[in-house]
Amino acid sequence: MVQTRRDFLKRTAALSAASYLGILLPFKDVGNALAADETTWHRGSCRLCGTGCRLELGVKSGLPVALRGVPQSRTNMGYLCMKGMHFWKLMNHADRLTTPLYRAKKSDKFKKISWDEAMNIAADKFASAVKEHGNNSVAYYGSGQALTEETYLFQKIFRGGLQTNNVEGNPRLCMASAVGGYMTSFGADEPIGGYADIEKADCFFIIGSNMAEAHPVIFRRVMRRKLDNPKVTVINADPRISLTSRIADIHLQFNPGTDLALLNALAYVIIDEKLHNEQFINDYVTFKKSKGDTIDFEEYKKSLVDYTPEKAATIMGGKVTADQIREVARKFATSKGTLSMWTMGLNQRKQGVWANNLVHNLHILTGQLLKEGADSLSLTGQPNACGGVREGGGLCHILPGHRPVEKEAMRNQVEEAWGIPKGRIPAEPGLHTMAMFSAVNEGKIKAMWINCTSPAQSLPNCNKYNKGLAKDDTFVVCTDIFPTLTTELAANLVLPTAFHFEKTGVYGCTERRSQITRKAINPPKGAKPEVEIVRDWATLLAKKLNDPVIDQCIKPFIGLEPEYALPKAIWEEYSQKLTKGRDSDLSGAPYEVLEGMYDGVQWPAPTVEYAKTGGTVKKFVRGMDPLAEKLKTDDKPYQFYGAGHPDHKLWVWMRPQANPEEMPDADYPFYLSTGRIIDHWHTMSMTGRIPELLRANPYSYIEINPKDATRLGIKPGDMIEITSRRGTNIMPAKVYEGPIEGMVFAYWHDQHPDRMINKVTMDAIDPGSKEPEFKICACKIKKVSGPQALKPYVV
Amino acid sequence: MKRREFLKKSGAALCMITAMPEIAFSKGLLKSPVTTNRLRPPGAVPEEIFAGKCIRCGRCVEVCPYRSIRLLDIRAGIFTGTPIIAAEEVPCYLCMKCVLICPTGTLRRISQEQTRMGMAVVNRHRCYTWEGSIICRTCFDVCPYKGSAIILDELRPIIKGDHCVGCGICTHACPVTAEDGSKAINIEPIYSRETVQWK
Repeated sequence: MVQTRRDFLKRTAALSAASYLGILLPFKDVGNALAADETTWHRGSCRLCGTGCRLELGVKSGLPVALRGVPQSRTNMGYLCMKGMHFWKLMNHADRLTTPLYRAKKSDKFKKISWDEAMNIAADKFASAVKEHGNNSVAYYGSGQALTEETYLFQKIFRGGLQTNNVEGNPRLCMASAVGGYMTSFGADEPIGGYADIEKADCFFIIGSNMAEAHPVIFRRVMRRKLDNPKVTVINADPRISLTSRIADIHLQFNPGTDLALLNALAYVIIDEKLHNEQFINDYVTFKKSKGDTIDFEEYKKSLVDYTPEKAATIMGGKVTADQIREVARKFATSKGTLSMWTMGLNQRKQGVWANNLVHNLHILTGQLLKEGADSLSLTGQPNACGGVREGGGLCHILPGHRPVEKEAMRNQVEEAWGIPKGRIPAEPGLHTMAMFSAVNEGKIKAMWINCTSPAQSLPNCNKYNKGLAKDDTFVVCTDIFPTLTTELAANLVLPTAFHFEKTGVYGCTERRSQITRKAINPPKGAKPEVEIVRDWATLLAKKLNDPVIDQCIKPFIGLEPEYALPKAIWEEYSQKLTKGRDSDLSGAPYEVLEGMYDGVQWPAPTVEYAKTGGTVKKFVRGMDPLAEKLKTDDKPYQFYGAGHPDHKLWVWMRPQANPEEMPDADYPFYLSTGRIIDHWHTMSMTGRIPELLRANPYSYIEINPKDATRLGIKPGDMIEITSRRGTNIMPAKVYEGPIEGMVFAYWHDQHPDRMINKVTMDAIDPGSKEPEFKICACKIKKVSGPQALKPYVV
Repeated sequence: MKRREFLKKSGAALCMITAMPEIAFSKGLLKSPVTTNRLRPPGAVPEEIFAGKCIRCGRCVEVCPYRSIRLLDIRAGIFTGTPIIAAEEVPCYLCMKCVLICPTGTLRRISQEQTRMGMAVVNRHRCYTWEGSIICRTCFDVCPYKGSAIILDELRPIIKGDHCVGCGICTHACPVTAEDGSKAINIEPIYSRETVQWK
């Protein structure tokens, strides 16, 4: 470039002037103004796991600045984990979706379109699918992280409006077996007690849960109890020695899939040594072989002879001794209060419901139930799997308020509450998750709405299902805050939504507790709350299908502002019309009551006065549960009014040991199990975007027992190829005295195509709960190279 | 300038430098670059003789699969060209390849457990868990010697000096970053200050 002296001088002068002005610009004052603003704190629930921690979001000048725990809360007592402390950083994240994106073909690139166009396209596609291919050609796949109002409204439009029960959610992948277990053993879903038992328990039986990683705040409560009372026994049963085992007095390490034998052996010892509670059994218990086949105590006892501690120890692989089993059984039966806790280790199994039943059996036999510190407590993974999906009607076979779809009277109650014609809700339960995605593979689902979840990564054997999702046969709408593998692979239309604290709604955690989070900040411009999206979409849908019933479904919500009034109206309808008179009665807990609570309300809570005390701490106990008094059939202190058991009793089930679907063999000699790590949440679309959390665990690795590693010549950090009959992963090795010999373990969060362990896992399902067996499959491992520097990968 | 004059002046300058060592060291020409979170690779000889023993061949940098080891540039004075690890940026993952390849014995051939790059020190006034009600366990989780080098006392991290190898993985992972770039857990290279025992 030619530059004359004059030019040079001119430019220099201009530059000097500009920099001088720049210094004078009031940048510093901006900072001062921010500093002068007070931080306001807004109470809400944690967005992440199912513990239900209460926290406060700090907002300064309309921007989120921090999160802190609520010390008065009965769930977390002010404690938070790292995920809970950091998720405010997602609210103004640069990756947030802010405009609807559309592509006609999944191979195309996304184009930005307006909200009007987007809603039109969504309504058009669903309307034409219904017209051309019938009502069951559309489907909703939701999430245990959506607010109750959202799940409820979605299922209302799909069931009442589009007349299909194809309403599912990712809780099918996490707690469907727990639902099955509670329904078959206690006759009513969800735990009898709650976290309050932790501080009263004398013996903890933790099986198939790594709560130190997955529920760190509950783990702290258990640890606190143990430290304050050294006589408290903690028993941990897990094929892998985890961080939870650190506080265990006894760790039972068995081969994956043999826990049914362990649980039966514990029952054997309890009965053999006469540690069972005869009075309790006589008063409240029925023994069952199958649903219609009632047996007596003697026959049940006989069925256990195959599970003497010696025999069970052999089945379990020899690391557990018969004496250990006896000791555990004695501690379990004779402690002042025994609290069992489990999560995915029992649920994500082909025998998930059976495993749940067998834990309940132990509590029923010993009477370690309904009293202080004793409970059979299934921990939930997601913040609103219980509240939104189990209670709100988010699964294909249940309507809101724990109503089974196949019962006509139940359907009619719902239709009446909605003011729609009788017979509008189809009698057949819809497709469960795995069947739904199989139907996508076969091209039977023409339009699908995926809300707040990423099945492209979270389904087991995902290679198989991603083929279907990638085809143009199914039109897919995704509502999310960030791009995920699913939006990239499967979506035709991506709708940006508001995040937690950017909208109002209720979450229901593990212990039947519903807690409200009110809007505290504005969503990024362009993002809308789901309830508003659904309402607008349904309005268009009614026009396109010319169906007044769809209009009727959203009539109570028309014209309401979407930030508070709309979710409030939805909650009002759900709690007052659909939970009233059911066991999950929340009619005493409108928004006003929930807002006044530091934590929330545990159902049943039929009246406002009662709800204000916090609700029911223990179900079924007269004097503690208002429904037990109201629905009592005799004078006994415990009343099992659950709709599942007409005889009002607890059922003890005969459930034999059964192997997982795929056992290691000569070709695939290792068990593979998967799990979580404290710093990450599910598919990492959120936690992967928080540098503090990503730095701690930037990518997945595979844990290998040191003995296996020595045998195969594997050193820490070596790159390992993990292959099953379904897919392959390559990730670094961590040689660690964790998994039992012959087993490897991997985290499932990583989005990188090489390290997505669900390509390898198994999609066999539990015949009862339809929950897939994520936790056990057979694989082989091979060293492919020495250590390599890897980069974290987030879409 | 005459030769005599030149010698005189340089002699005087040299005398001044040795007479006032703190000036020379503060100028950074002789000052060791090894400080908090700035570590030598595993097996390094004490700083006292490091600059003399290392021939700046750069092989440890080449062999490091994680690019943890970097060479110091000209600003490091007499330590220019010697290897360094910035623990909070890329820590040492203890693959022990560099100790095998070092041609001079500047990095001694030691095993993982014998490595003493420094010692982790928890800043209890900055650590989330020590400070209040946040349950963070990141340093414990990532430690390759958890249970022995770092233990949890009621969820609070405590370092056991006998076992800590000073790899810096905890420093790298620590979610707390202060304004000066340091973390709530930092590596102090206490072993590099050892004096060499000449026989």
